[in-house]
Amino acid sequence: MLALLGATTLMLVAGRWVLPAASGEANLKPENVEIHIIDDNFFLKWNSSSESVKNVTFSADYQILGTDNWKKLSGCQHITSTKCNFSSVELENVFEKIELRIRAEEGNNTSTWYEVEPFVPFLEAQIGPPDVHLEAEDKAIILSISPPGTKDSIMWAMDRSSFRYSVVIWKNSSSLEERTETVYPEDKIYKLSPEITYCLKVKAELRLQSRVGCYSPVYCINTTERHKVPSPENIQINADNQIYVLKWDYPYENATFQAQWLRAFFKKIPGNHSDKWKQIPNCENVTSTHCVFPREVSSRGIYYVRVRASNGNGTSFWSEEKEFNTEMKTIIFPPVISVKSVTDDSLHVSVGASEESENMSVNQLYPLIYEVIFWENTSNAERKVLEKRTNFIFPDLKPLTVYCVKARALIENDRRNKGSSFSDTVCEKTKPGNTSKTWLIVGTCTALFSIPVVIYVVSVFLRCVKYVFFPSSKPPSSVDEYFSDQPLRNLLLSTSEEQTERCFIIENASIITEIEETDEIDEVHKKYSSQTSQDSGNYSNEDENSGSKISEEFPQQDSV
Amino acid sequence: MITKPDGIRKYVWLACLMGLFITGILSLDCNSLNVRLRRVTWQNLQLLSTMSNSFPIECLQERKAFELPQEILSYTQPLQKNIKEAFYEMSKQAFHIFTQDTFQSTWEEKHLRQVQIGLDHQLQYLEQCLEEEEEENEDTREREELLSAGEETLRKPSGAPVLQLGNLDLRRYFNRIDRFLKDKKHSHCAWEIVRVEIRRCFYFFQKLTALLRRR
Repeated sequence: MLALLGATTLMLVAGRWVLPAASGEANLKPENVEIHIIDDNFFLKWNSSSESVKNVTFSADYQILGTDNWKKLSGCQHITSTKCNFSSVELENVFEKIELRIRAEEGNNTSTWYEVEPFVPFLEAQIGPPDVHLEAEDKAIILSISPPGTKDSIMWAMDRSSFRYSVVIWKNSSSLEERTETVYPEDKIYKLSPEITYCLKVKAELRLQSRVGCYSPVYCINTTERHKVPSPENIQINADNQIYVLKWDYPYENATFQAQWLRAFFKKIPGNHSDKWKQIPNCENVTSTHCVFPREVSSRGIYYVRVRASNGNGTSFWSEEKEFNTEMKTIIFPPVISVKSVTDDSLHVSVGASEESENMSVNQLYPLIYEVIFWENTSNAERKVLEKRTNFIFPDLKPLTVYCVKARALIENDRRNKGSSFSDTVCEKTKPGNTSKTWLIVGTCTALFSIPVVIYVVSVFLRCVKYVFFPSSKPPSSVDEYFSDQPLRNLLLSTSEEQTERCFIIENASIITEIEETDEIDEVHKKYSSQTSQDSGNYSNEDENSGSKISEEFPQQDSV
Repeated sequence: MITKPDGIRKYVWLACLMGLFITGILSLDCNSLNVRLRRVTWQNLQLLSTMSNSFPIECLQERKAFELPQEILSYTQPLQKNIKEAFYEMSKQAFHIFTQDTFQSTWEEKHLRQVQIGLDHQLQYLEQCLEEEEEENEDTREREELLSAGEETLRKPSGAPVLQLGNLDLRRYFNRIDRFLKDKKHSHCAWEIVRVEIRRCFYFFQKLTALLRRR
């Protein structure tokens, strides 16, 4: 019945799979086969050109794609009408791609198979309407929703705890004022008025798969008359160093309160979890409108918390359930700051973790950012800085002035966490301004003393440079040897030998040429030797000059 | 929309330098996703290991190859989103397995609870990040749909199921586990085998978080 609602929309989907009927071959062959899947139910529908012919039946087979193992669909064997249904239980696996075929039979004659394009049932299935059970309180309706499909549904077996339900609720008298809420399978709708008829419809959703089911039928229920004992309201939980403080509003006198909590994940699992609610320690029979429980009591995670009141007249309904995340409520500890004055116009601020936060080592890998507030002690003008660094300097300050700093830690990029409270204020005086004068004197003195040293170093360096890049033109010693020999021979040649050879010339005409040659060589040698002697002389002169320069400069600079 | 891995690395590094400052803050910032996923998966891994002392020898015979799909990431969509979705699917299915009423009674309930809580937490976190992403994408998609509405008349009534093929593989894998449990009537051995198998799966995903950190 309701399935039809979904079926009409699903026609479009199924249309995709339908192959154009092969013409001619067998006029008995079924055509336009359509499949609708709602939860675990498969609806098969087809046309037949042989509807008028008697004794024609239809049968369907299926197989997992590529297995070549056709199995009969027991719900669809020898069907006389042009539709049949079967359950996914027959398929056993709805996540594999399956092939489906259908043919007509008449006695021993069978038509060819009509094959449906392979499909994954799970991807084509439509979410059916959920089953809803209602219970009324004075200001709330309790919903118990069974997920779509039967209890042993295999289509949604793996999604049962992923379903969320969208509830549309309105007063029966005025259907214009609709309200839509998303709930868990066991949930409550609050903020209703007593003694009024409310109507609602529910649909299941798999949000991250973008799947929306069809609506359940409309259910109506009357809220009860106002309860004698009202429920606590406005429940809040705050974290303070080592404790949690649970607070609520209750304007009436002489009541005691009880608070319970439930692991949040139970809410996702369909079924009744009323026995899973546990007493919060220290929050039983409290007479104040708050209770305090230590941090260690709870293991980390998300809880739901509820409170009810009791007085002489009885016990109230449970309050609204408040979600409570132990981690979200965890405070960041304020940082510890230290301030040092470095110069007269700047202060060095370093921010560090406090001891207690270092001791707590659970999950700290979150980027912190520090909000540092900085002001001159006598004025109220504050400077606010957001710093990621833990060490930084405030520049451009007045000398000998007291500045104060406080800081708090924030989580970067987290909009939800307010961050730690502020650290203690630390004040520090900047260094006196005259410090700069002493620094100046010391600076100049050292500068003065360092000048000669620098000059000396530079000159040594220059000498090295000169030695490397502008070496003296003195030839290497081996060459020197050669040259030192030559002039001797030269002398010999020019004096004694020349004369003896002349004697030879006279005696033997053939040697004349030789003598001429040696003369030539001698001339060249003379040139060389004169050059070298000149160069070396120049060099030594320069050296002396530079040396004297340095010695002159020293006394001059010392006196400055 | 897509987190910057460089940024993440910088933050992590920075946070380490600061010297582990704060206690258990649920940073709902999806940028530190990889840090969180790595940590929670690691915790779950350890819990699964401590849940039972050792693998019973008598169960060795019943072992089965569940064929954990290795190629769960399709390369058609951004890696970050891909990994998140695969993680979500995995967490959801593991949560489903471990929240069955017929859980192994020889396991310490405390540990089982911890695994349930850890997985639930991870789911909550991923859901939020994925939904935030969806919202951000919504505008662009609406615009695209307006453009394509004229061309395509055959549309799915409630939008095509957004289920990646890799995730379908994951689903098949968990379905094999689920059916194995059912076939073995949730016996002690079946649970032990499943525990070891899911630990393997967690380990595989633990390695995947490294991809979130890189590019």
